[in-house]
Amino acid sequence: MLDVQELHAFYGTSHVVQGVSLSIAAGEAVALMGRNGVGKTSTLKSIMGLETRTQGTVRFDGQALAGMAPHVRAARGLGYVPEERAVFPQMTVEENIRIGALVHRSMNQADCLDAAYALFPVLRERRQQMAGTLSGGQQKMLGLARAIALKPKLLMVDEPSEGLMPANVELITNSLLEATTAGLTVFVVDSSFDLVRTLCSRLYAMDRGVLIGMYRPADFSGPDELAATILGEHATEASGRGDEVR
Amino acid sequence: MIEQILLQALNGLVVGSSLALVAAGLALLFGVLHIINFAQGDFFMLGGYAVWFVLSLTQNYVIAMVVGTLLVAILGGALLSAICWPLLQKSPVLILLATLGASLILQQVATNYLGGDTKLVPFPITANLSLGPIQYPLYYVLVVATGMGVLILGYFALRYTRYGIWLRAVAQNRPMAASLGVPVPRVYLVTLAVCSGLAAMAGGLLLPLYSVYPTVGNDVILNAFIVVVAGGLGNFRGAAIISLLVGEVLSVGSLFLMPNVLKVVLFALVIVLLVVRSRGTHGLVRL
Repeated sequence: MLDVQELHAFYGTSHVVQGVSLSIAAGEAVALMGRNGVGKTSTLKSIMGLETRTQGTVRFDGQALAGMAPHVRAARGLGYVPEERAVFPQMTVEENIRIGALVHRSMNQADCLDAAYALFPVLRERRQQMAGTLSGGQQKMLGLARAIALKPKLLMVDEPSEGLMPANVELITNSLLEATTAGLTVFVVDSSFDLVRTLCSRLYAMDRGVLIGMYRPADFSGPDELAATILGEHATEASGRGDEVR
Repeated sequence: MIEQILLQALNGLVVGSSLALVAAGLALLFGVLHIINFAQGDFFMLGGYAVWFVLSLTQNYVIAMVVGTLLVAILGGALLSAICWPLLQKSPVLILLATLGASLILQQVATNYLGGDTKLVPFPITANLSLGPIQYPLYYVLVVATGMGVLILGYFALRYTRYGIWLRAVAQNRPMAASLGVPVPRVYLVTLAVCSGLAAMAGGLLLPLYSVYPTVGNDVILNAFIVVVAGGLGNFRGAAIISLLVGEVLSVGSLFLMPNVLKVVLFALVIVLLVVRSRGTHGLVRL
């Protein structure tokens, strides 16, 4: 489904993603983990085409994405939910969901709205409310529900559990799990052990712009061991436990 | 005296509604693309020339308005895309300078090829409308109705049409809109064309009132900028409301004040409005 080879991304003079190579099969849920600022978000944005200075090859569904604008990638089935600013604050919840549905002419808007509301019923109650006035958790739900309702082939989600209370993390985890069970391919950046263990079959660890290992969540007994292995200060040294990354 | 005030108040609506078309385009452009377009007044000028030209061929004012507006919308959309697109990711000052350059070039081209003289056209409708004691030109009423009608249509188009919703989405969060599949380059192009077309429509509507000459846009653009700043940059509805207020101040105020003093009063009112709004009070006008 997704094949990334030697991906590089730059911010000014900073080389933030340094030769990342990874692949995700259809129907799989894979996580990308690492400390803050190691290049995880830049990796997702580069795949989505939102980073302007990138190098490398990204193939999605058998097709090279080089030079393709983000909206064209989205039209081909690539979905993306950013960590922050995932909603249009001065538009209602309903309008937020309809924006994507308006792009896909074959998509029935009522079905799209129903699908989003079915994932998080609270959104139906607040459908006429401005998205910017929702709580942080509800905004995350809106961004995720909208993306899932559009039925992408691959959904990339950046930090869906960040800053949420446990009940909301569980809601979001369950919605992603339900979507993957239904066949959606997911690539998620998150630091929640529970979310990754529940959802993903594999996880890539990243440090300072490079992938340092590939693991199975089952390899870890709990979040502390996971953190000590891939999120800690000695991530690079600890990477020996994981499979070698191409 | 009351009749004069009433007459000037009606004239203020004419000035305000046409100014609103120019200013709404400016506001839209800033709201979506964050572009301050100095050439907006020149699309007003081109609209006047285009209507004058098509009118001379067809002798039909409605056709001249429609064709002239569409011509300038297409030309303006293409021109602004060509000069702004390569500069979008760079400093906003570059785009500002580019549109200023485009403005000067358009004025010079108009002078060279269309002459520096004023082009006049007769009123397409000479009938008057009885408004109490006032006999008011029907064409003026039509200018107000057209201007207001287009703005109301624009407001609902922004709220309910596919492009309107996309346009607001791009204005609020461009990367997210693109990630959802919104064709951002097409939205930009349509916005640029619509903004140019709005100015052109105003230029065409006011052609029988003020005539057209190469620098006519300079007289319009200053007031349009005042409106856009006072109405809130990027605020389509605010620009429309403030346009009407500016039109009324200029028109009714001309009964009591000299033109130069009137401009000072207008600037003072805008400054007061900005100060009040910047203090977080909900201002003189709720937008």
